[in-house]
Amino acid sequence: MIALAIVLTGIGSYAMRAFFIFALARYAFPPLMLRALEYVAPTVMAALVISMLTTPEGELAAGLPEVLGLVCAAFAAQTTGNHILALIAGMGTFWLIGAII
Amino acid sequence: MTTAPNRPALRGSLDALPLFIPALPFAFVFGVVVAEAGIPQWLGWSSSPVIFGGAIQVTLLTLIGEGASVVAAVSAALIVGARHMLYSVTLAPQFQNQPGWFRWVGAYVLIDQVFVLSQIKRIDDPVAFRRYFLGAGFTFWTLWMIFTALGVVLGPAIPPEWGVEFAAPVLFVSLMMAASDRRDKLAAAGIAMSVTYLLASLPNRAGILIAVIASVCIMLLATRRQST
Repeated sequence: MIALAIVLTGIGSYAMRAFFIFALARYAFPPLMLRALEYVAPTVMAALVISMLTTPEGELAAGLPEVLGLVCAAFAAQTTGNHILALIAGMGTFWLIGAII
Repeated sequence: MTTAPNRPALRGSLDALPLFIPALPFAFVFGVVVAEAGIPQWLGWSSSPVIFGGAIQVTLLTLIGEGASVVAAVSAALIVGARHMLYSVTLAPQFQNQPGWFRWVGAYVLIDQVFVLSQIKRIDDPVAFRRYFLGAGFTFWTLWMIFTALGVVLGPAIPPEWGVEFAAPVLFVSLMMAASDRRDKLAAAGIAMSVTYLLASLPNRAGILIAVIASVCIMLLATRRQST
C-alpha cells in the first residue's frame, strides 16, 4: 500500500509538471498571458516564504530573529545578487538576534 | 533578456549548488519522517527518485505514518505540490521550441529552485536554455538522491536547536528578490505574502496557489492603465 501511494504520488506530481508543457506546446500565448506569467516566480517565492513561517493553524511562527533575518537576507540579495551572501546575512542575523534576546 | 552564458550546463550546475544548502537539513528532516512512519528505509527513500519533490514526499510519508488512507495521503501530497502546475504553464512558452525528449525529461526535474533559476536567468537561445535547465535540474537531483539516502540512514544528524531549517525561508527570500527585477514584481510578491498569510489556515497549504493567482490578477488590473 505504501509503495502504491508513492507510485501514485509520483505519477500525479509528474503529470502536474508535464501537463501544461505538453498541452500548451503549440499555443500562441497572448501578450496579457505572457505578462501574467512574469509575476509567477516572485509571487510563488513570496508565498512559500510565508507558508514556511506559519503553522498549519494559520498562526505566524516568526519572532524578531526571523523577521530581522529575512530583512537582512532581502537586503543582501538586493545589493549583492548573491544567494550565498544572502544566506550568510540571513542566518547570521537570525542566530545573533536569537542569542541576544 | 540576458544573453546565453558560455558552457550553460556548467553554469546551471554551479547556480544550483548554493540553492541546495537549505535542502540539506531538509534531507535529514525527511530521514526522520521515514523513521517515524515506520516503513522500510529503502521504500521511504524510493520516493526521492519516484516523486522528486521534498515537501510532497514529506507530506505523503507523514500522513502514511499517521495511518491515513492512500487516497487521503496522495491527494494531500498532490495539493501541496499543486504550484508545479503554475511552473508548467510559465515554462510552456520556453519549452515550445524544444525537442520532445526534453519536455519529458525537463518536467521530471521541474522543482521550485530549478523553475526560479530558469526565470531569473532568462536564456533565449533554446540549446543554451536546455543545457542550463538540465545542468541545474540534475545537479539538484543527484544531491537530493545522495542526501535523502544519508538522511534516512543517519536520521536526526543536525541538532534542532540550531534552527538550520530557517535557511529555507532565507533562501526563498533571496530568490524572491532575484526574481523581482522590477518594482511591479516586488509589489506582486508583497501582495502574495499578505494573501498567503490570510489564507495560511487552509489545509495542505492550498493558500499558496490561491495567493499566486490572486496577486497576479491584482497586478494585471493595477498595471492595465499604464500599458494601454
